[in-house]
Amino acid sequence: MKKRYLYLLLLPGVLFLTIFMIVPIFLTIGTTFFNESGFTIQGYLDFFKDRYFIEILLTTLRVSLFTTIICILLGFPAAYYISKLGKRTKAIMLLFTIFPLLTSPVVRSFSWMVIIGKNGVINKLLLSMGLIDKPLDILYTPTAIIIGLVHLFLPLIIVTLVGVMENIETDLLKAAESLGASRLAVFSKVIIPLSVPGLVIGSILVFVGSFTAYTTPALLGGKQRVISTFLYQNAITLNEWQVASIVATIMIAVTVLIISIMNGLAKKLNPKG
Amino acid sequence: MQEKNRGLALFTFLVFLFLLGPLLIISVTSFEGGNILKFPPEEFSLRWYENIFNVEMFLISFKTSILVSLAGNLLALLLGVPAAYALSRFDFKGKTIINAFFVSPILVPGIVLGFAFLRYIVGTYQLPIYAALFVGHTVIMLPFIIRVISSSLSNFDFSIEEAAESLGASKVGTFFTVVLPNIKSGILAAVMIAFLESFNNVDISVYMTGPGVSTFPIQMLTYVENYFDPTISAISVLLMIITAFFMFIVERLMGLSYFTKR
Amino acid sequence: MALFTLQDISVAYNKQNILKDFNLEIEKGKLVSLLGPSGCGKTTTLRLIAGFLQANEGKFLFKDKDYTKVPVNKRNFGFVFQNYALFPHLSIFDNIAFGLRLRKISKSEIEKRVMNVLEIVNLKGFEKRYPQELSGGQKQRVAIARALVIEPDILLFDEPLSNLDANLRVNMRVEIRRIQQELGITTVYVSHDQEECFSISDQVAIMNKGVIEQLSDPASIYKYPETKFVADFIGFKNFIDFDKRVDHEDKIELSKSGYVFVIQKDAQMINLSGKIGAIRPDDLLIRAKDISEVVSENSISGRVKVSTYLGRSFQYVVETPIGDFTVNKEMTESYRAGQEIVLEIPRNQMVLVD
Ligand SMILES: Nc1ncnc2c1ncn2[C@@H]1O[C@H](COP(=O)(O)OP(=O)(O)OP(=O)(O)O)[C@@H](O)[C@H]1O
Ligand SMILES: [Mg+2]
Repeated sequence: MKKRYLYLLLLPGVLFLTIFMIVPIFLTIGTTFFNESGFTIQGYLDFFKDRYFIEILLTTLRVSLFTTIICILLGFPAAYYISKLGKRTKAIMLLFTIFPLLTSPVVRSFSWMVIIGKNGVINKLLLSMGLIDKPLDILYTPTAIIIGLVHLFLPLIIVTLVGVMENIETDLLKAAESLGASRLAVFSKVIIPLSVPGLVIGSILVFVGSFTAYTTPALLGGKQRVISTFLYQNAITLNEWQVASIVATIMIAVTVLIISIMNGLAKKLNPKG
Repeated sequence: MQEKNRGLALFTFLVFLFLLGPLLIISVTSFEGGNILKFPPEEFSLRWYENIFNVEMFLISFKTSILVSLAGNLLALLLGVPAAYALSRFDFKGKTIINAFFVSPILVPGIVLGFAFLRYIVGTYQLPIYAALFVGHTVIMLPFIIRVISSSLSNFDFSIEEAAESLGASKVGTFFTVVLPNIKSGILAAVMIAFLESFNNVDISVYMTGPGVSTFPIQMLTYVENYFDPTISAISVLLMIITAFFMFIVERLMGLSYFTKR
Repeated sequence: MALFTLQDISVAYNKQNILKDFNLEIEKGKLVSLLGPSGCGKTTTLRLIAGFLQANEGKFLFKDKDYTKVPVNKRNFGFVFQNYALFPHLSIFDNIAFGLRLRKISKSEIEKRVMNVLEIVNLKGFEKRYPQELSGGQKQRVAIARALVIEPDILLFDEPLSNLDANLRVNMRVEIRRIQQELGITTVYVSHDQEECFSISDQVAIMNKGVIEQLSDPASIYKYPETKFVADFIGFKNFIDFDKRVDHEDKIELSKSGYVFVIQKDAQMINLSGKIGAIRPDDLLIRAKDISEVVSENSISGRVKVSTYLGRSFQYVVETPIGDFTVNKEMTESYRAGQEIVLEIPRNQMVLVD
């Protein structure tokens, strides 16, 4: 009786997702391994011989890596500061963090076009101060993509880290202090190790998110392709569905790979707790 | 008592300047009086706000987006509420797997998911664009609905259900009279978060355009590619106002812990 | 000579004074407990000594040096937390070695000292485990070991046993006392549990609303409370607010509404000015009243209002012309509600408090 009840509740959702998500995804992956004569990995072999594609893949990985590192470097101290604030101020700061997170990525990427464009705020400022004599080319470069992605994902890592840091009992910090730890020692020996789980989850979210983000590179990258814009270009502009399917499969594979590597890393860094 | 660390405070201030400054800057540029988007604006006017309403595709795509997000939300609720309830209420074999299954649409790269939709839902299944948009947006809203509602059910005391049953309520009756009223605010919060997620979506909708059909964010992208004027700034301001409004309601309904928990 | 002194300390949260003109002196090697109702400021006092909290006013002297502004990590005081506060990411060994490593002590010395302290707390062989793999009692012993190993000048305990079950609590308190005496560490111990405090302390400070009402050895507090609050707190449930007090050579004569009570003068009785008599329910004598009986000195007749069965004894609430009394009596004889009885206060069982 109870069992049937349970299935009844879960079945509609499971069926829906299976038909409209799982099947399309697996078909997309599946078709890349077959041609007229049966099973093949020729498509992938051709792909990894293609300099242009390798270039795009490496650029995307590099951009994602930089984005992740910058997000950690900016986000960790800020999250620590926020987690130490009083209840009210903390709530306000969290609202300020969550607001950009909920704001349309089109809006957020567009705002950077206004800032780093040729006639943008930064160039105007630097020109008027006489620090440069012709506008810098930031927009439509990998740097622009990194800036946009950091802006996109920084709130995510802050919010994740605040969640983890809030849960570090203050008694632990006091205990460390009473044992002679300076503020710096408390930070490096207690807070950082205990934040590792949040740091790992946050890094996964940022890295995978940057690796697969579309809007930001589409707006800020110009001619500079990354893997997601490459996928879109093949699917829509070039109508190369087989190529697009292979790119899609590679993206899924990299995503899975990154998540498992990071999880493995997390286990190693923090065997207990 | 309180920790005073000026360096860290300044650092955090700069981080937030980086996060919020750009949004402030485009808000200011939306009031430009001239023809070119620049900061700071030269004269004040609201003409670019008016211009939004002169671009017909903005109006059409806005309607499309609202319809798709609302209809998708409704279907996601119908599928998600029972699932979230089952996952919170019962312990059964394979629960973690089912849970992961329902959250999986968040993990699949959106741009890949969109392509798979295009190829099979629009292609093989032959669904019309509108229907495909509706289905696709339901898929991406479902995990948010389930996550938020599960989180509001996580501190739900299910023994009140037994109390209702012992007083003569049926299982279904119990759900509607006892459970639902208690997770009303969770459901509302879920709806709002999922709505924003769907309304702002680009990765999937970008594949699902047809003659005269596209969603609002896609229309914005198209516009930016062709014109660099403050219309998008004006739209951004309106979208940010809506976002802030939704965020405050969600905060009222269930606090901020949903965002910090992962 | 006092090892450390709190001098006219005031602490306030949100403008509300938690400690006001607080004074406390503790001698080297002693274990002093702070005991008092919830919210009276015990934890606040302890955190102040530890340095987690800054006083708004007053001074903290340690070995006659002004320590008021010395930060926590420079004080070398051990703190044992109620919820253990073990570092979840470190093994037991590393938890205990934490303080030593900060002191840049050599590896071999650390190893020696950690092993040594593990032996003191009876946890040899647990060094490779992690906190999550220990029971509550074991965790608490690790917490104690971690505080001990830095050879602290003062050891501070905040309700260290309140998360343990009753049996373990008794074992652990014996253990704490043994270690404290063996090593001669000056200790301040906070607890809710009277029995715990009385059994392990050299001195007990009874606190009320941010003030120490009485500080003496456990036996004196138990027998000779000085204030009404202390008396009430340690179980003197009956109070008589006398109208008149006459002191004689060897006795004190007190009266209330014409009823006269006499108590023996006792060398140890410190409080000689009080006019409130306090007596424990166990120390009152109760007997059935004969119809013809004329009530004599130190006795008063009354009527049983409520009778409650307590297991080993009965508790009666007795109504008398000078107020209600609570009396405990072994169960051999029992009295019904409404019954006329006589209460007697033995000459040596009542104390006078302020
Ligand atoms: N951080 C704080 N902010 C405001 N008031 C506080 C704070 N900490 C403690 N107090 C108040 O100070 C008073 C004393 O608290 P303290 O923790 O010292 O009590 P305690 O004697 O240890 O009580 P318990 O036995 O319940 O642990 C209480 O009234 C408490 O409400
Ligand atoms: Mg306390």
